[in-house]
Parts: sequence; structure tokens; C-alpha cells
Amino acid sequence: MLEVENLSVNYGGLRALSEISFSVQKGQFVAVVGANGAGKSTLFKTLSGTVRATAGAIRFDGRDLLQVAPHERAHLGIAHVPEGRKVFASLSVLENLEMGAYSRRGRAHFKQVLEGIYAMFPILADRRDQLAGTLSGGQQQMLAIGRGLASSPRLLLLDEPSLGLAPVVVDEIFDRIGQIHREHGLTILLVEQRAGEALDACDHGVVLESGRIVQSGPRSSLMADTGALRSAYIGA
Amino acid sequence: MTGISWDEVSFTLELLAQAIVSGILIGGVYALMSVGLGLIFGLMRVINFAQPDFMMLGMYAAFFAIAAVGGMAFAGPVVTTLLGALVAAAVVGLLGWGVHRALLSHVLSEKQGGQDAQVMMTLGISLLLQNGGRMVFGADPLTIRTPLSSQAWSWDFLLINQGKAMAFAVAIVLTIGLQLFMSRTLTGKSMRAAADNPEAAVYMGVNVGRVHRIGFGLGIAMTAAAGALIATSTPFQPYIGLDFLILMYASVVLGGLGSITGAFWGGMTIGLLQQVSTVFLPIQLQNMVVFVAFLLIVLVRPQGLFGRVSERI
Amino acid sequence: MRDYGNFLKSNSGIFAVLAAGLVLAFVLGSAFHLNLLTIAILWMVLSLSWNLVSGYAALVSFGHAVFFGLGAYAIVLLQLKFQLSPWLGLPLATLLGAGAGMLIGVITLRLSGVYFALAMLCYPMALIYLFEYLGLQEVTVPMHREEPLWFMQFQDQRSYAFLALGLLGLALVLCKAVEQSRFGLWLRAIKQNEPAALALGVRCFRWKLLALTLSGGLGAAAGALYAEVVLVVTPTSVFGMVVSAQALVLTLFGGLGTMWGPVIGAVLLVPLAELLKHELGAELPGINGVIFGAIVVATVLLAPRGIFWRVREALGWKTANDPFSKPGDSATAYASQWVPEQGARTDPAESNVPLLRVEGLKRSFGGVTAADNVSFEVRQGEILGVIGPNGAGKTTLMNLINGYIAADAGSVSLDGQGLLGKSVHEVARSGIGRTFQVARVFPDMTLFGNVAVGALAGPSSGDWRAATWRALDLVGLRSRADVLGGQATARDLRLMELARAASQRPKLILVDECLAGLSSDDVEEMVAALLRLRDAGTTIMIIEHTMHAMLRLADRFLVLDHGCVIAEGEPRSVMQLPQVLEAYLGRRFAEGLAHA
Repeated sequence: MLEVENLSVNYGGLRALSEISFSVQKGQFVAVVGANGAGKSTLFKTLSGTVRATAGAIRFDGRDLLQVAPHERAHLGIAHVPEGRKVFASLSVLENLEMGAYSRRGRAHFKQVLEGIYAMFPILADRRDQLAGTLSGGQQQMLAIGRGLASSPRLLLLDEPSLGLAPVVVDEIFDRIGQIHREHGLTILLVEQRAGEALDACDHGVVLESGRIVQSGPRSSLMADTGALRSAYIGA
Repeated sequence: MTGISWDEVSFTLELLAQAIVSGILIGGVYALMSVGLGLIFGLMRVINFAQPDFMMLGMYAAFFAIAAVGGMAFAGPVVTTLLGALVAAAVVGLLGWGVHRALLSHVLSEKQGGQDAQVMMTLGISLLLQNGGRMVFGADPLTIRTPLSSQAWSWDFLLINQGKAMAFAVAIVLTIGLQLFMSRTLTGKSMRAAADNPEAAVYMGVNVGRVHRIGFGLGIAMTAAAGALIATSTPFQPYIGLDFLILMYASVVLGGLGSITGAFWGGMTIGLLQQVSTVFLPIQLQNMVVFVAFLLIVLVRPQGLFGRVSERI
Repeated sequence: MRDYGNFLKSNSGIFAVLAAGLVLAFVLGSAFHLNLLTIAILWMVLSLSWNLVSGYAALVSFGHAVFFGLGAYAIVLLQLKFQLSPWLGLPLATLLGAGAGMLIGVITLRLSGVYFALAMLCYPMALIYLFEYLGLQEVTVPMHREEPLWFMQFQDQRSYAFLALGLLGLALVLCKAVEQSRFGLWLRAIKQNEPAALALGVRCFRWKLLALTLSGGLGAAAGALYAEVVLVVTPTSVFGMVVSAQALVLTLFGGLGTMWGPVIGAVLLVPLAELLKHELGAELPGINGVIFGAIVVATVLLAPRGIFWRVREALGWKTANDPFSKPGDSATAYASQWVPEQGARTDPAESNVPLLRVEGLKRSFGGVTAADNVSFEVRQGEILGVIGPNGAGKTTLMNLINGYIAADAGSVSLDGQGLLGKSVHEVARSGIGRTFQVARVFPDMTLFGNVAVGALAGPSSGDWRAATWRALDLVGLRSRADVLGGQATARDLRLMELARAASQRPKLILVDECLAGLSSDDVEEMVAALLRLRDAGTTIMIIEHTMHAMLRLADRFLVLDHGCVIAEGEPRSVMQLPQVLEAYLGRRFAEGLAHA
């Protein structure tokens, strides 16, 4: 479904990504892990269009994604759950979800999808009229994920969902993400710093270090051969 | 009580009560004016120096529209005035949309200068509108004549000018209309979302540039409609904008930059302040009250009094 | 004799302008044209006054008419009430303007951006109403047939032109002095990157106030002379929006931030405006306003900083415009000669002298605890590496130490001196330097100039050239010293930030992620620079993610997660600790790795 081919990105005068290549098949859960500064955020921003690619290609269902304007990408069926949640603080929970369904696909199926989101995250149902800015970090993360689901996406992009959350909450979030993948067969691309949680939940993993892929393969192989991971994260 | 008679106190209280009533009536219209500016600033952080000059255009638009249908006799004073306000809103709002598209959007995307450049540009637009208006419309003051402006309801000692009351009512209706638009329609919600977090709004699929243009046009439309309403009771000429510039910004800042309901209450407060000051101050100093109020707000409490809690960082 | 020659040459611009003015004054015949010349010159002076604040320091003001009007009213009222000669009235009006500038500055300079611009607008507009209330709707300069010269009343219009030229000469000299001085450098630094200036210890408020004071005096002088020329003063004609707008438009069009901007603007636009008013004013009233408006819009779109800079850009003159940016001759004078301080580099294991002590530091934002009872110390002469996952609170910690954020509780002391509660520039002056994740560069100064700002703001400001070269050599930037900040590479900008901080000989430098995204060669250069800094006696506290580099650089590690200190000590052993592995990789993985 998603193909990244020799992608290179210069960001702020620096080589953030160097010739990255990987792909996400339909129904797959791919996790991209790496330490800070490895280029994970840049990858996500290039996928969403906030940052321009310098070279290479990204194809979504065979279509050249880099030619599509950032605000159009949601309408293709790509949902973004950005780093730091970025919920609309001055809008209510329900309004946030409605904004999630802004795309044409989303509006068509919103009523049913909303029921599903409430079922998965009951706290959002409880607080549907509350201002999103007053929710806790974990609740905001659930809202952000719900917002992503509201667009009935074909591909869900998650950027560091564990950021700034307490370990207990992180566990809960990752359980839910796994649940979403299992129950709906949704294609997921997860970018994450906490390698353990991410690799545990995924089908296929990619390790980034200093803008390059240093290891890539199915979950089992990454859990077995951890040398590259250790080097990337703790330098040893 | 030595030296002050009950009559004097009673008289002052009566004046005060009258001033409060007048203040509320004019405050409603100021509120509509400020809501337009508040929408623009809240949505895209644009400092529009030319906002009051668009209001001036609204006054002329309403004047000519009403004159074209033969005056108040067309459909009675209330409906005709409402029509005039709507025409002003539509015509000038569209012009505002065009100005944003053609000029402002080119400056906002520039890194160099940024806000400074944008303020300067709106200053240039202000000069163009004022002096262009002078050239086209002439300098003679005009008013929109309505029989209501010389009629008043009386209640005990209070006089409620019918013209001003009607302007107040129309202003409230329009403000409520805007509020409903912002909270019930998808476009309105996408505007609020874009104001709250433009990056996330793009992720949702919102065309933020387009939303900004619509928001700018809508904000101009609101202020233009307010102008049409003011024109029924105040004479206007092409340079009238300057009288309202600080007043508008004082309202918006008092209400908390970024909040539309804040701008509304800010406008009401400034209206009250202005009218109440007539009781205590000589006439030439009344206008100073607004400037002093603005300075005080901006120095003492720049976040305003009525702003919403969740302000985006 | 040669000194005279140099003097003429370096001030040739000023002399040329004054000479042109003199020639015009002699050549022009009619009173109308002479009047036009005089008025044009006075607008030039007012624009120069506006430029002092809004051009040099980027404090855009919409209300400079307040000074113009005060000057105009002062000189006339002094004549009316006290029969004071305008020759005395003029300097008094200037002083009044300066005083007003200072007072307004004290009140208003705490605002910035649009708040400042609008607040400045309030003053003249309020004064319009005040003066009308005081019955001063129209004051006229009284006629003095006896002693006309004592009362500045000339038969010949030419004399007014000469007076105006004299004032212009003073104004241009003042502006040149500002541009060449350290004061001008501070204003430029404030304009190009105020947070960086603050972090270097520049007393920004003081310099902005001085600019506003000078500007007020100059504007008032222009207004005073204007009153003497037009003879009638009304509130709107001297306090009105037109006056403020004119100063703005002339400078914006001509060029912001240079004294030639107002000159060019006035020379081109004032005659145009007056001509338009004269020729077409009857049929098309307000035409000059329309043209001005169109000019502003066009300028903002096509030449946002004004004609002067656009032309310069088009001609390819890309060099920095300030005297401190030119490394020039001093390069050879200060040949590479950095020397580590005597006995500075002791083995860190033995040096247990704490330089910075942090105890119980706490800070929350909304519901998030960014710093949770953080306690640690930085030892003299060491490099302390601060690591931890994203969002752990590392930059917040530095911001707390620096004074950018206030702490909720706790204490920070440098050599026993408490730091919390001090403003950013006070902390800088106490001996703490800082670099930033995104380099805060002064884009229109060379790298040399950028570092020089640090040296000049620091303790060795007397010998700032030496301090600048020493810092440049320490980080290895000597060969790129004359590259403009806005065009330098990311690596060089980070080296510049290190040098700029080092130029102030701080006791401690806080380095925030200077290695992110660099190629391995660049990383090597940065690491070498940091090590040289340490060897020269500077203690360093560095936030970094690039583990390989950190393991080589740091003497000790401090590990943060969720705002708490979770480990402290020797780098390699710290990286094996289970809680550190968990913070980075997550619990499930850490458990697996720990057993590997």
C-alpha cells in the first residue's frame, strides 16, 4: 500500500534522512524505531507533507504522494496521529472527532465509526462535550487516535504515541493500538522511540540511526538479533 | 451629607442610568464590529490596520443600496436597515476576501518580516481605502436616514432611542448567527480548528489557506455590517475609520485576543465605558477614555478579561 | 591634511546630501519651491527619527507624531506665554521631546510587536483631544516686526531652508554615530534576534529606551522647526495620523534601518506628494494618500525592506553593513594563539569541586511535571552529558537554569551564587553561556560579527577583538569568519554559537543538542571544538542524543526521564543500568536486553 523509495530529506540544512527504502503492505503493522535525532519525526513529517523531500519517492497505492498537497492526503485515506497529540484544545472531544471525519470518506461513515470509537475508548464517550484541552495526556492520546480512526482511514500513521506519557498509560495505549490492528485489520505505520513496546506490537520492524536504515525485517528477527538496536540507542 | 443635595445625586443617577442604557445599545454594535476583528485575529493572527476602513466601505455600501431601493419606504425601516447591513456585509466581505487572496496571503507566507510586513501592508490598504473613498465619495458627511432615529420609547425617565435599539437588535442577531455558524457548521468548526492548531488541521484534510481567506472575508463582513448599523445614527465620511481603530482593538484585547465571545463582551464593555464617561467627563475628553482604557488593558492585563482558557500556545 | 581627506571620504554621503540641499536652496527661486524644500527636509528629519526606533531596532511605532506635535506646540507656546525666542525654544522643545521619549519608553517598552505599535498610536491621538479640550485648537506664531531675527522670522524663505539643512546635518551625524557605535550594534542585535541578545547579557531594555529618547528629541526638533515655518499649529496637523504615517511610508519605501532610507524616501516621495496635491488635488482630492497607500503595498510585496536594500541586493553587494562584522585587518593582528589556561585541565576524577549546584528543582506546566525534584551538580572543568528520551525535560532544565522559565521550587547556585529569579541577561552576566537547539543567529552580520556581539557584551569588552579571535580559533571557525550568518551552514552556525558563548569567558556553557543531524565529519569537528573548549578551562553541560559522540565527550552522564533524574555517573556504567535501558527502549525490551 505504501512504498518509500530512496527517500532523502534535507531539513534545516542537515541530512535528516538518507535514501530510506521500505514498504507497508495492506493489513500490515510496521514499526519504525530509533533514538532521537535518528530521523523518525522527519519521516513522519515528509509523509504528511509538512516537510518537503529532497530526493526519492513515496507511493501510496501506486500514486505519487509527494505530488499531493498536504491537506489533500487525508482525503486519500491516510490518517495522521501526530507527535504530541495536537488535539484541538478549544474544541470539545466530539468536535475533535468530527474534525477527524472532515475528509469525504470520513463524513460518509461517521455515524457508525463514532460508535466504534466510543466502544474502544469509553472515556471519550463520557467526556464528549468537554474541552479537549482539559483532558489528561493519556486521554488526549486516545482522542488523537480516535480522531485518526474517525476518517475511516486505509492507513493509520502514528508518531511517537508514547511521548510524555506515564509507563502505565503507554501500556494501555499500545494495547489499544494492537487491538485496532487485530480487530479491524487496519494498516498501521508506527514511528516510535520506545523500541520495546513498538516491536512487541508490530508485524515488521525498521530501525533508523542517523537518518539511515540499519536493520529491517519481521518482528521475530528483530527480537532475536538486537545488536543494531543496542548500537543505535546506547552506542554499545 | 453636606454640600451635595439629594436632587443632584438623583440627577446624576438618572444620567448614569441613561448612559448605561445608551452604552448597552451602542455596545452591541461595537461588539459586532469587534467580533469581526476578533475573528480575523483569532483565526490567523493578522493585525488588520484597515479593518475600520472596510467598515467605512460598509457604511457607503449600505447607504447606496438603501438609496437605490428608494429609502426606508421600501420595506419599512427595520427590514430595510437589515437589508442594508446584509448588502454591506456581502459586498465588502467579498472585497475583503479578494484583498486577502490578492495581497495579504503573499505577505503572510514570507519569513522575512512576517507580522511587521503584514501590518505595514494593511496600513497601506488603509491609506488606499480612506483616500480612495475621499476621491470617489467626496468629503461631505452622510447618514442613512431612518424615521426611527428620531423616535424613542420612554420608560420612566429613560429614553430608549428606537433607531439605536434596532441597530442593537440587528447586531445581536448577526452575532448569534456568526456564533451558530462557528459552532454548528463544518466550515465553522474547521475555522476554529485551524485557529487552534493549523498543523493538525492540515492533517485532518483542511485547506488552511482557503479557510483563512473565508475567515478574513467573514470578519470583514461582520465589521461592515456593524458600520451599516452605526451609519443610521452617526454621520460618516471616508476618514471615519480612524475614530474606531483604537476602539476596535481595545475591545478585542480586553476580551482576550483569539476569543470571539471575548471580543463581543469587550465591545459591550467599551461601549458602556464610553457612554458612562459622558456623565463624568467634559465632552472633549470622552474620546480619550478609549485610549486610556486601551493602554491600561495592554499594560496591565494583555491577556484580556474574557478570553477562553484553552488558548493555543 | 590626510585626516581631513579621510574625514571627507568617510562622511562623503552626508556632505553630498547637505551640499545638494544647499545648491537647491540657492537655485530655487519661488517661495513655493523653497517652502517645499524646507518641508521635505523636515519630513526627512522626522523619518530619521522614526527610523532610529522602528528601523534600527524594529520597534515599529505608529505614533511618532506625538514627538513632532509636542515639539511644535512647545516652541509656539513658549513664544506666546513667555516671549521666549525660538532659538532657545528649539533646544527646549528637543529636550521636551527626549523627555517624552523616555517617559513613553518606560511605560510602553515592556510591550512588543503590535501592542507596542498600537499603544504608540494612542499617545498622539489622546493628545489631540487633550489639546482641543485645553483650548489650543489653533495656535499661531506671533508676529514680531521688531527684532525679527531674534524670533526666527525671516523675509527670505531661503533662511528657513538653511535652518532645516542644519538640523538635517545634525540628524545625519547622529544616525551615523549610532550606526557605527556599539549602541547601534546592540540595536541591530535586538532587531535580528532579541532572545539571543538577552542570552548574551545585552541590556536590551536600556538600549531601546535610549533609542526612543533620542528619537523623541529629534522628532520634536523637526516639529518645532515645522511650526516656525508653517506658522499655524493645530492638533490634527501635528499629532494626526498623517504625520506618523508619512514618516513610516518615507522610511519604509526608502529603506528601513539605514540613514539613507529616509533620505531617499523623502527626496523621491515628498515632491511627488506635493506635486500631486498641487496639480490634481482639486479634481482628485486625496490622490497623494492613494499613491502613498499604493506605494506601501507595492513596497511590502516587492521590496519589503525598502529601495536601498533592494538595490544593494540587485547590485550584489552582499557584505554586512555594520563595522563590527568586518574581520578585515584584525585577522593578522590576532593570529591563532589560543592557549589553555594555566593548570586548567585537571583529571576530572580528582576535580570534585562543584561549580553548579541544583537542588530540588521543580516546574510544572498545566498538568505536566517537566522537572520533578531534580538535584545534581556540575563539577569544575568537566563535561557533563545530559541524556534521556524525548520529552524528558532536558531543555526545560536548561531553560530553568538560564532564567527563561521560572521555577516552582528549588535552588540553583553557581559558585555559591543563587541564580533563580534572575533575569536572562543577569544569569548570562553571572557567567553562564548558552547555545540553542536551533541556532539563534544574527543573519545580517558575519560569523565574526555574531561572535563579536558576545565579546562586546561580555567582561572583556575592552579587548573584544582579541576575545573574538580567541573564541573563533578555539572552535576552528577562523577561515569562515566573514561568511554572513544568514548564509552559513548548520555546522558553522553551531560552531558560531559555541564561539559566541565562549567569547564571554563563561564559567559554564549550556550546550543544547549541537550534534543533531550532522554528518560524521561534522560531528568530529564539533566534538573537537568542545574538547578544546574544555581544555581551555570552560565547564560544559551538554544535552545530546548522538550516543557515540557522547560516550567520547562526556566525563559523566546525567540521565533524565519524565522530569526526574534516574541515573548519574560514569557513562558506560550508566548506560548498562536497567532503568536507563527501560527509559530508552521500553520495559519489555530492557528486560530482554538486560539478560542478553
